[in-house]
Amino acid sequence: MSHTHSPGDGGGDHPAAPMVEEITDFEVLEIAVRELAIEHGLFTAEDHRRFTEWAESIGPAAGSRLVAKAWTDPAFKKRLLEDAVKACKEIGIDWAEPTGFGTPSDYMNLRVLEDTPTLHHVIVCTLCSCYPRPLLGMSPEWYRTTNYRRRLVRWPRQVLAEFGLILPPEVEIRVEDSNQKCRFMVLPMRPEGTENWTEEQLAAIVTRDCMIGVALPRPGRTADVHPVQKARRPVQRS
Amino acid sequence: MPSNKPSAKNRTRAVEARFKVGDRVRVKDLPNLFYSRTQMYVRGAVGTIAALTYQDVLPEDEAFNRDGRLEQYYIVRFRQKDLWPEYPFENDSLQTESPERWLEPVDS
Amino acid sequence: MAVRDELRQQLELIGAIQPALHLPQNWNYEVDSALFKAYLHPPHDVGGQFDAPGVYEEKEEEQWELNTYVTCEVLGWRGIWNSEERRRRADNDLGYTLYLGIPYYGRWILAAARMLVDKNHVSLTELIEKIAEVKARYAKQ
Repeated sequence: MSHTHSPGDGGGDHPAAPMVEEITDFEVLEIAVRELAIEHGLFTAEDHRRFTEWAESIGPAAGSRLVAKAWTDPAFKKRLLEDAVKACKEIGIDWAEPTGFGTPSDYMNLRVLEDTPTLHHVIVCTLCSCYPRPLLGMSPEWYRTTNYRRRLVRWPRQVLAEFGLILPPEVEIRVEDSNQKCRFMVLPMRPEGTENWTEEQLAAIVTRDCMIGVALPRPGRTADVHPVQKARRPVQRS
Repeated sequence: MPSNKPSAKNRTRAVEARFKVGDRVRVKDLPNLFYSRTQMYVRGAVGTIAALTYQDVLPEDEAFNRDGRLEQYYIVRFRQKDLWPEYPFENDSLQTESPERWLEPVDS
Repeated sequence: MAVRDELRQQLELIGAIQPALHLPQNWNYEVDSALFKAYLHPPHDVGGQFDAPGVYEEKEEEQWELNTYVTCEVLGWRGIWNSEERRRRADNDLGYTLYLGIPYYGRWILAAARMLVDKNHVSLTELIEKIAEVKARYAKQ
C-alpha cells in the first residue's frame, strides 16, 4: 500500500511539516459546512467565535491545579470526591460554560477516581474518545487511537508498561471505560519527596498523563514526553 | 424539531432505580442494529453495581434524536477475570456505565 | 458460558474485518448468522480486539480540526443535533472503511455534512456546489 501522506506511520521522529500551499479535502469540507451553516442561519459567526474562544482557553493546567489543591486541602478533596463538578467551580472551572448548560459533548457528570496504595485507575473510552475537556482540554491523539482503545480494557498492564508504568501485582488496576455521560479524572497519590511543596510546585508534576492514569507524578517529572506529529497548518491562537 | 437539551443533571428524577450499590447484574446481549453504546466485551458478563449516576434517555434513541423515557444509569464493576478468563491478575477490575435497560438481575 | 464464548468468537471475527478495496465476497447471497452479526457490529466498539503495540503519539492540532470541533459543538448548542447523533453518524454510519481510514476530525466533519443534508438544512446539490466553489476560491490564491 502506498502512502502519499503518513499520519500514523509511527516511527518516532517526524520531519518538520512542509510549507503546504494546496488546501486539503478536509479543509475544503470544513469551510463548506461552516459557511453553509452560517448562511442558513443554523448558527452565527459570533457563536463560532465565542465557542472557539472557550475551546482555546481549556487545557490540563486546570486539572493539575485541582489535584494540587486536593493534595493540600483534605476538606477540598472530600468535596471533590463527593461532587466534582461543584468542586471545579472553586478553582474557576465552570462546567456550564460556554453555553449555560455545558458543552453539547461533555455533559456535567464529572467523577474523580482516587488512587490509593492498593488501587490504580486508568481511563479509556473504547467507543470514541470521551474525555473531560472542560477540565483537561482536548484529548491527546494516542487516547483516540483504536490501538489504545482496543487493548487497554484487556491488557492494561501491557499498555501501561508501554507508557513506562509498571505496577506490582498487589496493586489493583481498575480500568474505567468512559462509555456514556460520565467523565472521569484520576486523582493520583501525592508522591514522596514533595513535603512542604506549594500548590504551584505540586501542580507542575501533575501532568495530563497522570490524570488519565498512564503515568504517576514524581518530583522532577513535569512533562509528558511523546513523539509529536506536526500540523500542516496549526491552530493560529488569536 | 431537535431540542436544545439541558444537561441530564438538571432533569427531575423520573423513575425509581431498580438496582442498588452492591447488586449483582448481568449485561444483556441485545441485537446490534445501527447503534449501541453497550460494548460487546461486557455483554453476558456478571458485575456489581458500583454507583448510581444520573437519569437520561437511552443512547440508541438519543442517537436518532428521540427524546424517550429517562432511565437510571449505573457504573458497573467487573473482575477482569470475569471478562477474560485467561487474565493473569486476580485483583484487577474494570468499570463501565450502563443504563438500566441493558442490565438484568443475577440471583446470588 | 455459551453466550460469552460466542461473543468471544464474534469479537475475533469483527477484529479480523478490515477494509479492503476488492475481495471476491462482494454481493454474497448467503450470509450466516455469525457473519451477519459481525457485519452489523458497530465499528466504534473496538474494546478487546487484538492489536500490536504501537507508538503513543501526540499531534499538533490543525486549524481545520479545531474549526470542525467548534462547528459540531455549536450545531449542538443551537439545537441542530445532539452529540449522540454526531457520534452515531461519525462512528457508525460511515462504515469500517471510512471509520478506520480517515482522521478523527475527518469523521466529525463528514458527519456534520451528512446531517445537514439528511435534515434538509441544505440540499446535496447545494453542498456539492459549495465544495466546488471553496476549492476554486482557494485554487486561485
